[in-house]
Amino acid sequence: MAAEAPGLARAKARKPARVLRAFVASAAVIPLVALVAMVAVLLVEALPAISYSGFGFFTSGVWDIGSLYSNAVRTGGVLHLVGAQYGALWLIVGTLESSALALVIGFPIAYGAAVTIAERLPRRLAAVLSLCLEVLAGIPSVVFGLWGVLVLGPILARDVYPTLAKLPDVPVLDVFRGEVGSGEGLLTAGIVLGIMIIPIIAATTRDLLRQVPTAAKEGAEALGMTKRETFKTVQARWIRSGVFGAAVLGLGRALGETIAVALVTGSEIQNPTNIYDTMTTIAATIVSQLDSALTDPTHLAVKSLAEVALVLLLITLIVNVAARLLVRRSARDVALPVGAGL
Amino acid sequence: MVCHVTVTESGSSRILPSREWAPAATHGEVADPAMQAATLTIGFGAQPVLSSIELPLACQSITALVGPSGSGKTTFLRSLNRMNDKVRHFRLSGRVELYGHDIYGRGVDPLVVRKRVGMVFQRPNPFPMSIRDNVLAGVKVHKVAPRSSYHDLAETHLAEVGLWSAVADRLSDSPYRLSGGQQQLLCLARALAVSPDVLLLDEPTSSLDPVSTEAVEALLVRMKERVSMVIVTHNLAQARRIADRTAFFYEGRLVETGPTEALFESPKRNETARYLNGQFG
Repeated sequence: MAAEAPGLARAKARKPARVLRAFVASAAVIPLVALVAMVAVLLVEALPAISYSGFGFFTSGVWDIGSLYSNAVRTGGVLHLVGAQYGALWLIVGTLESSALALVIGFPIAYGAAVTIAERLPRRLAAVLSLCLEVLAGIPSVVFGLWGVLVLGPILARDVYPTLAKLPDVPVLDVFRGEVGSGEGLLTAGIVLGIMIIPIIAATTRDLLRQVPTAAKEGAEALGMTKRETFKTVQARWIRSGVFGAAVLGLGRALGETIAVALVTGSEIQNPTNIYDTMTTIAATIVSQLDSALTDPTHLAVKSLAEVALVLLLITLIVNVAARLLVRRSARDVALPVGAGL
Repeated sequence: MVCHVTVTESGSSRILPSREWAPAATHGEVADPAMQAATLTIGFGAQPVLSSIELPLACQSITALVGPSGSGKTTFLRSLNRMNDKVRHFRLSGRVELYGHDIYGRGVDPLVVRKRVGMVFQRPNPFPMSIRDNVLAGVKVHKVAPRSSYHDLAETHLAEVGLWSAVADRLSDSPYRLSGGQQQLLCLARALAVSPDVLLLDEPTSSLDPVSTEAVEALLVRMKERVSMVIVTHNLAQARRIADRTAFFYEGRLVETGPTEALFESPKRNETARYLNGQFG
C-alpha cells in the first residue's frame, strides 16, 4: 500500500519548465525532420527523371535538355522535349576527381600546419597562425572562385602547368602530361578546393593535438624519445581516428562545394582528357544549369537536376558512413580515447 | 615550542619556524651511490622550489621521498632525469650526478639521461598502440635489440612484471582495456625494457587498488637488485614496506634522510617525527 507521503510527492512541473521541455524536444527532432523531408521532396521531384533516364543516368555522359522548338512528346508516361537525354556520368566522375585532388593537395598542408601550430611554434606565433586559419575558413566561397578564375588559374596556366606537363613520362608523374589549357579545369579546381578545405582539417587536427594528455607525451619523453619520436609514438596515434574524421569533413565540403567550382572548372560536361582540362561537378552543374533547365516547359530538366542532387546526397552519405565504419574498426584495434564519435 | 601546523596543498604554509637548516648529517653512509644530488637548488622563475639538496641515492636499493604536498619531492624526482628542462623559467644550480657524472654538465644529452634514468608516473600512461608495442616502444626507438628478438623480449619483460599470463593471448589488443593496475605494470615493463640504471617512480600506486599496489610493490622489491629506484610516495606505510632508505622533504628542503627503519623509529628532527607520526601532512 502506497501511503500518502506528504512532501515527497513529485512536484508537478511548472509551466515555464513544460514550455522549455517542449521546445527542447522539438528542437531535437528538427534536424531529423529536415533530412527526411529533403530526401522525400528530392525523391518525389526526381521520380519522372528516374523513370525516363533509367540506369542510363549513370552510364551516359550526355546532358541535353532537347529541342526547345519542337513540341513535347511523351515516352513511358513522361513528358519530355524531343532529343532530351540526361546522363550524369561525367558529373559524378568530375565530383569525385576534383574532391579527391582537393584532399590530396589540402590534407598534407593542413596536417603539417596543424602540427606546426600545436607542437612547434611559440604560443604567440601559433595564435596568429590560428587566427589566419579562422579567417581563411570564413572567406565566402565565391571569393575563392573569383580569385581562382581571375588570378590563380591564369598564373598556374602560364607559370606552373607548362613545367608540370614536362615531367617525365613515368607512372604517377604521367598524370601531369597533356595540353595545359587556360587555367580553368580539373587541377585548378582541385587546388582551389584544396585550399578551401585546409582550415577545417587544420583547425580540427590542431584541437585534437591540444587534447593529447601531457602524461602520455611525458611517458614517451621519459623513455628518452626525441620530439619527433614522441610525436610518432603518442600524438600521431592518439589523434589518428579524429584526423580521419577531419579529412572526411573536408572531403564532404569539397564534394558539395558549388560556386567556387562552377567558376574555375570551365563548366563543361565532359570527361576531362587530361588533368588540366575543363570539366564540371554535380553541385556546379546544378547551379549553372538551373537557369536553362527552368526554360524546359516539360520540367524534366529540373527533375533531372533533382535526381543528380539526390546522387550527390547519396555520395556524401556513403562517404560519411564508410568513414565511420573504418574509424570504428581501427578504434577496435587500439581503442583510442579520441575520435570514436567523430 | 608548540605549533599548530596545517599545511595547505600548495605547501605555502609558513607556520613551521623558518631558520637556516643545516644539511642533514646522515647521508655519509651511502657508498657508491647510483645518483647523487649536490647543493642542488631549483626554482621556477623567481619562485624557489628546492634549496641546497644534498642527497645520495643508493645503488641496488629503493629510496623513498616523503613529505607533504608541495614540499618539492616531485620536482626533485623530475630533476633526476631532466624532465623539468622544458618547464617554463626552470632554473637549476648545483649538480646531479649519475655514477659521478653531472647530468646537467656541458654536452650531456638529456635524451641519453632519460634513457638511463627511466620514469613511471602517478597515473598509468600506456601509449595508444597494442600491448606488445607498448612494451617494445623504447626498445624499437633506441634499437637496443634486433627485430627478430622482439617477441621474446616482449614476453620476457611482461613476465618480469607478472603480466604475461594475463595478456599472453591478447598482445595485439589495446592496453586501455586492461585494469588500472595492469596498465601500471605495463608501464613498468615498458620502462624496464630499455634496461635503465635508475628508475624514478612518482607515486606509482596512488591511483591503484590495494591488490594492484601489492603487485607493484612486490615487483619493485624484486627488481631493485637490477635497477636502483627512487619513489615518491604519500603512503608512509608503503615507504616503510619497500624502501631501504627514506628522505623527508619539507618546504623545499631535505630535512632528514637515513635508513628507513632508523628514520621511522628514531627521527632526529622534530618535523620528521611529527610528519611520520601523522601530526601534519
